[in-house]
Amino acid sequence: MDFRPSPAQQLLVSTARDFLRKHCPPELVQRVALDARGVDDALWRRMAELGWQGLLVPAAFGGSDGSLLDVILLTEEIGRAVAPGPFVPSAVVATAALLAAGTADQKKRLLPAMAAGERIVGVALASAGNSCELDARGRLNGRALFVEAAHVADALVVVARAGGDTALLLVPTDRRGIARWPLETIGPEKLFEVAFDGVAIGADDRLDPAAARREALAAGALARTAEMVGAAQRVLELAVEHAKTRVQGGRPIGGHQAIQHACADLVRDVDASRGLLYAAAWKASEGAPAAAEVAMAKAYASEACLTVARRAHQIFGAIGYCEEHPLHLLHKRIHAASLDCGDAALHLEDVAQAIGLA
Amino acid sequence: MEFGFSAAEQTFAEDVRRFLRDNPLDRFPLDGMDAGYGSGAHSRAFMRALAERGWISMCWPEAYGGGARPMFFKLVLFEELALAGAPFGPLAGSWQTADAIIEYGSERLRREVLPAVARGEATFWQGYSEPDAGSDLLALKTEARRDGDHYVIRGHKIWSSHAGIATHGLVFTRTSREARRSRGFSMFVVPNETPGMDIRPIRSLTGGVYHYEVFLDDVRVPAELRLGPEGEGFQALLNGLDSDRFWGRFYKAPALERVLRRLVDHANTTGAGRDAVLRRRLAAMAAEIAALRLLFLRAACLLRDGAPITYETAVAKVYADETGQKLARLGMDLLGPWAPLRAGSREARLDGEISHAYLTSLGHTIAGGTAEVLRTTVAVRGLGLPAEPRTA
Repeated sequence: MDFRPSPAQQLLVSTARDFLRKHCPPELVQRVALDARGVDDALWRRMAELGWQGLLVPAAFGGSDGSLLDVILLTEEIGRAVAPGPFVPSAVVATAALLAAGTADQKKRLLPAMAAGERIVGVALASAGNSCELDARGRLNGRALFVEAAHVADALVVVARAGGDTALLLVPTDRRGIARWPLETIGPEKLFEVAFDGVAIGADDRLDPAAARREALAAGALARTAEMVGAAQRVLELAVEHAKTRVQGGRPIGGHQAIQHACADLVRDVDASRGLLYAAAWKASEGAPAAAEVAMAKAYASEACLTVARRAHQIFGAIGYCEEHPLHLLHKRIHAASLDCGDAALHLEDVAQAIGLA
Repeated sequence: MEFGFSAAEQTFAEDVRRFLRDNPLDRFPLDGMDAGYGSGAHSRAFMRALAERGWISMCWPEAYGGGARPMFFKLVLFEELALAGAPFGPLAGSWQTADAIIEYGSERLRREVLPAVARGEATFWQGYSEPDAGSDLLALKTEARRDGDHYVIRGHKIWSSHAGIATHGLVFTRTSREARRSRGFSMFVVPNETPGMDIRPIRSLTGGVYHYEVFLDDVRVPAELRLGPEGEGFQALLNGLDSDRFWGRFYKAPALERVLRRLVDHANTTGAGRDAVLRRRLAAMAAEIAALRLLFLRAACLLRDGAPITYETAVAKVYADETGQKLARLGMDLLGPWAPLRAGSREARLDGEISHAYLTSLGHTIAGGTAEVLRTTVAVRGLGLPAEPRTA
């Protein structure tokens, strides 16, 4: 039993934290959050130079051959910095889908370019709002909702019904018949409705088996949990700092038990979420069946980390209500991450089945 | 990172499971009630059975008759016993007291008490709280006055668990008045049969007896029964309380897991598990119990590695107790009109275990440091928030 990351993982984490402090400071996050495009190309390129987008990719495809656990530790730092960009959809979920179900040609064509930060592959894997249907003539019709960063994606991994089956497709976004409409959200994430109108799908556009969707979503669920844990850890640190320095009535507000006990609960929520995250990511990285652990981690963190953000608003008082304050971006990131790759209700149902509820 | 038990630890877990298969729990008579912490009822027979296998002393140094096994074997034993619902109530206290005696006990304590612990015969009650010294423990009034090579103890202790059926008390006393609030305290290991002790049961809201109050009326004890140097009992106590939070709660997660499994079976039998709300609450409990187990295992790694612990055991203790209360509440909701039926009643479900757990769990966020005191510990010691000024 050992809760410590390996020396190499510790180096990965400290490098990531230093890098993000320098190249992804709060001012940049604020600026990109208000920007309509919502991606910082220079930051995305620099991340690729560090090998981040290729961390999950085998060396044979130009990646750095990391484990899922490595990716989780890195994603925790990305969440902590609220770094913009479609890291989780492209470098985790789409990458995992390609690795599990891509043909040699698809992998060779996309993975090296994705690892290099030159291509972005988005995912339209959510069930909610998905009406995609692949007909017998190989035409894709319908729409997918809540597709992150569809505007900058070169291709999308799309789940569609095909007769009585499910098909997993890899669709270039420049193909005829595809339209992308932005959804206006409360957060900085850029979400889209993607409409498919008779889009021609060839044999080369299939990912097989379609069951790889589940695997890709499990990797994504862990990565989203890592974002939540990283962001919640940052919220905790900011809240404690505020409690120590904000003086009212001649004393720091953190000297009052009402605030102390709130802070103690933030620690509990963050630590407990992280424990479940690491245990699940470790087990998955070892190649052991970890579906129940992943579901527990995602469901638990969705509730606990959101509670951290909401409680922190009360600790911060009025200043936390301002746009220029970082709290709302951390809060919105946690909320968005809690919904993606399966919300708490979906994962709790998986847990219910895993513990034997009929 | 590594979240599994080692091969040796897994082999030991197998040994414990085999022992439990070969020795059905109904063979062990119970002497004292289960207080719901997860360690089951007090059973001398079960403690002796553990002792026969050498498991009580398995982690002590060989010089004290131990097996010098690594600390994690104790965790494995706790998990397996708690998952089975075994009656090992006094075990954590025996281990903690033995560790303290090994660390700073007199030769006499080591010679007389340790072998009795190893045989499963010596068990301990904590004489810490007093009627006017609860969360403010250092307000205690019990005094131990030096008289030659003896001390004479006078005072009144309360909320001492199983004091009437244990063999020794750990009596925390004031041995001198000093300017510094935390100085001048000493701890004694006092055999129950020592003249001058009056141990009286307190019946609890469960209808059973778990706590006692103890009147000490000029109790004469040899100086060799002092645990550690005179006047430095507070540090020993703090270490003890830290370790109490850990050892006295480690088995909560596996014990709650056992209860949750019973609730799941029950929900499947009655069809209640198809109710969307109950289904989600049960699933969420499974995640919370898994998180709880990991909080304790993280603290265990820090203890094993000798790494500093500031808040980790306090967080884990509060979470253990609040999660236990939540599960008991959920169990009551699940049983509906059957919920209040006691063990032994006609029509009682799940052996009446849930109503008992519901009641006992109310005390858990109070005993061994209230949830409020511990949250303050987390904030002040763990996060560095300023301590509230003391008014007295």
